[in-house]
Amino acid sequence: MSSHRELTMGSYVGIGVGLMAIVGLEVIFTYQHLPPRTLLFALLCLACLEAYVAIMYLMHVKYERPILYWTIFPATLFVLLFLCYLFPDAFRMFNMRLMK
Amino acid sequence: MNQSQWTIAGHEVVMEASPYGIEKKKLGIWIFLVSDACTFGAFLFAYGYMRIGAPVWGAPFGIPSIVNGVVMTAVLLSSSLTMLAGVRASQAAQKASVKKWLAATMILGAIFAALHLREWVSLIGEGWRLFANPTGGPAQFGATFFSVTGLHLSHVIVGVIVLAFVARGYNQGRYDQSHIETAGLYWHFVDLVWMFVFPLMYLMNAH
Repeated sequence: MSSHRELTMGSYVGIGVGLMAIVGLEVIFTYQHLPPRTLLFALLCLACLEAYVAIMYLMHVKYERPILYWTIFPATLFVLLFLCYLFPDAFRMFNMRLMK
Repeated sequence: MNQSQWTIAGHEVVMEASPYGIEKKKLGIWIFLVSDACTFGAFLFAYGYMRIGAPVWGAPFGIPSIVNGVVMTAVLLSSSLTMLAGVRASQAAQKASVKKWLAATMILGAIFAALHLREWVSLIGEGWRLFANPTGGPAQFGATFFSVTGLHLSHVIVGVIVLAFVARGYNQGRYDQSHIETAGLYWHFVDLVWMFVFPLMYLMNAH
């Protein structure tokens, strides 16, 4: 890790406060009585933003060689996204229940 | 066979530098974190699958539980910052400071676990179990909530224990700055997972 480019501790506290603000936004969205799909989409987008900030700054990936990022994250995202491949089956189950 | 013996035997030892420019233990923890992310992803996916497939789900969390969740998030985020301060102190070889920040991280981790267990006790008191729903709806909520949050809680508890070992080793001179940094990566990952568990398990089930 090349520490000379690293942020100051004050900047990290600022990042922590920013992450808490995103959590506050999530709570506000929750009580806006949005449709479940809209709420889920909003919460997932905010959670992904939080995760990106945490990975880049708290876990210092921003200061590592880019090869670490390109080795780890595309493959992990691929696996996690392909887990969603089975979701249509969950909808099928739901519709089968309704048909009974 | 060590390097001098290889030279005697007439062989060249080829020591290629890591393309990642990081230590083996740090690369090792990254590989572990990737596999752990897939485990949590599978658990959260299973939760989503069951939730979509269930005709009714229910929303057991009132405002007190959500406030408790926000406090837990703040505690865990603060612990990430104290961990960062510990890593920076170890880079500056400030032994006393490392001890202080790692202790703060462990205390915050323990507070998070206590708040989490309080939430569990409250739900169990209402009649929620792994396979029981006191409101008469599907039992999958208990199964998914206790398994996902239980997996996360076990990571927090293991993290606190690991930090205690690393802090002790660092104090005794057995471990160095890279050990603190590796433990820190694990701790930040636990925080990162909570960023998905809180909205999906708590906020999506709030009434």
